[in-house]
Amino acid sequence: MAFEIIDVKKVYQMGSQEVAALQGVSLAVDSNEYMAVMGPSGSGKSTLMNIIGCLDTPSSGAYLLESQDVSKMNDDQLAEIRNHKIGFVFQTFNLIPRADVFHNVELPMVYSGMSSSGRRKIAEEAIERVGLIDRMKHKPSELSGGQRQRVAIARALVNNPSIILADEPTGNLDTTIGEEIMTIFDDLHRTGNTIILVTHENDIAMHANRIIKLKDGLLESDILNNKHYAA
Amino acid sequence: MKYIHEITESFRIATEAVKANKVRGMLTALGIIIGIVAVVTTMTAANGLGNRFKESISVIGTDVLYVSRTPWVFSGNFFQFRNREELTLKDSEKLEIQLKSAKVVNPTTSTNQNIKYRSKVLESVSIIGTTEKQVQASAGAPEYGRFLIANDVQYKKNVCVIGSEIKDHLFKDVDAVNKKIKIGRYHFLVVGVMEKQGSAGFFGGPNFDRRIFIPISSLMKNYGGRNRHFDIVVKSPSPEELENFEYAVIGEMRKIRKLAPTEIDDFSINKMETLMAAYNNVMGVVVLIGLIITSISLFVGGIGVMNIMFVSVTERTREIGIRKAIGAKKRTILIQFLLESSSICILGGITGLLLAFGVTEIINAFLLPASISLPIAMAALVISFLVGIFSGVIPAYRASKLNPIEALRYE
Repeated sequence: MAFEIIDVKKVYQMGSQEVAALQGVSLAVDSNEYMAVMGPSGSGKSTLMNIIGCLDTPSSGAYLLESQDVSKMNDDQLAEIRNHKIGFVFQTFNLIPRADVFHNVELPMVYSGMSSSGRRKIAEEAIERVGLIDRMKHKPSELSGGQRQRVAIARALVNNPSIILADEPTGNLDTTIGEEIMTIFDDLHRTGNTIILVTHENDIAMHANRIIKLKDGLLESDILNNKHYAA
Repeated sequence: MKYIHEITESFRIATEAVKANKVRGMLTALGIIIGIVAVVTTMTAANGLGNRFKESISVIGTDVLYVSRTPWVFSGNFFQFRNREELTLKDSEKLEIQLKSAKVVNPTTSTNQNIKYRSKVLESVSIIGTTEKQVQASAGAPEYGRFLIANDVQYKKNVCVIGSEIKDHLFKDVDAVNKKIKIGRYHFLVVGVMEKQGSAGFFGGPNFDRRIFIPISSLMKNYGGRNRHFDIVVKSPSPEELENFEYAVIGEMRKIRKLAPTEIDDFSINKMETLMAAYNNVMGVVVLIGLIITSISLFVGGIGVMNIMFVSVTERTREIGIRKAIGAKKRTILIQFLLESSSICILGGITGLLLAFGVTEIINAFLLPASISLPIAMAALVISFLVGIFSGVIPAYRASKLNPIEALRYE
């Protein structure tokens, strides 16, 4: 079991009004699952993402990440969990603009306190894996969108996380480049990683072997997809 | 070990952030530079004044006590001293006999007279009546000719030893020895010229180079011996024994003045330390005020840094979000921004210190024997670091508290 969510609710205070973004979602995800999360905007998709990614905590319910309850942790404990167990890939890449490729990739290991020689070895392996070893000294501004997303994937891998959480990873890329990025995720899945993919595109979701749909803060459907790696 | 990686990384990020905004960083540091120059220069100038003062009163000697009717420096009611009886030559003679531990006991008295050589006149010069023991009691020896000898004193000879400034005034480059000058209405033969001793005139104190020594006996003969007040100079066996020696002098003086145990002293003991203490009292306040005023400029510089740090935090809200998402703790973000503000301030501090060295050299060349001491330099760097922490702490705290979700959404 990679993680388990039990009757999670999330309520936001908007002025005097309470808005329930999640109204009780339960979900169990095994290791090496490849799950797509779909749903229209306002469905609670982002909120669920933030909770799974330990950026936010639920208002009620439990979140067990590798059997550890993280729903009551404080900010610094969550930071440590994110550092060790979550690899983020964002729609807007979110690289540090002033740092070069190598430095962006080694950053999670800096925060986990690894020595610089250890960091170099692992970062180079990850960069090699996404095919950017000849771009190590380049700044994000000197790379194409697809290359930037590859850097972000390399960064997500270095601390060997329990979950790779990709939030619309192809949203800012054209279809061809998007497919290239998806093959990297497919490959990561094949080598044993657990991947959660948030998307609103069916084509992209079809890469996953399990697709869940959210609507109005509730789980609408949860189906297995046998034709995954569609492309 | 873990923290070391975190801190070296924070330091690298901080210096890169400063480098990325060079002009902004320099302008911000300018406030700190000006502040540090002002503070350091104030401190060195104060040091310089202190050195100058110490130098100028060193001629008094650290192992010498002056027994006088009144203290050199006093606060409060002058009338408590006014009715004291004068010290007499007899007192001095008795003290010399009774105070066996003293190296030298030398009575002196003084008068102010106009002096004249040919057409040149100096008004109101301090004429010191003393004995041949003067040179043993205090620093300073004749540069040309000789000092007074016992014979001069015994036979009330009209001979004098003049200070270097008087020599320069009356004789310029001409040899003064064996010339006759007029002191008041009487002619005196110059037998010696004192070496330059420095002056406390700068502080309104005595000018040791504008004095003339004559035998105490001839001073009393020529300018009157009645109601004259004497000081007695006593030299302690060594500077270390000065304190015990002072008690001994007080004890003997009380016996000589026939004071009952309940009566308070009707004489005063003066020494170099008294002047030094008085100087420190006054200068302490002046320096404190100077430091407060100059600190304001440093404070304003610190506010400038704080302002820029707020800008820096806002500019990098998204970056902070990214760092937090991939595992940076509050502490890590806090340290990153604190290091950024303190490196701006320390760079400013180092530059300010270098400039202050230049300013000090100028002061040194034209005004005072000033120098930047190691403690002052260290203090300047520590202060600029503290200003950096002070001006960075609120922006850094704000950065560390940012919610990663909102920070990531920030455009």
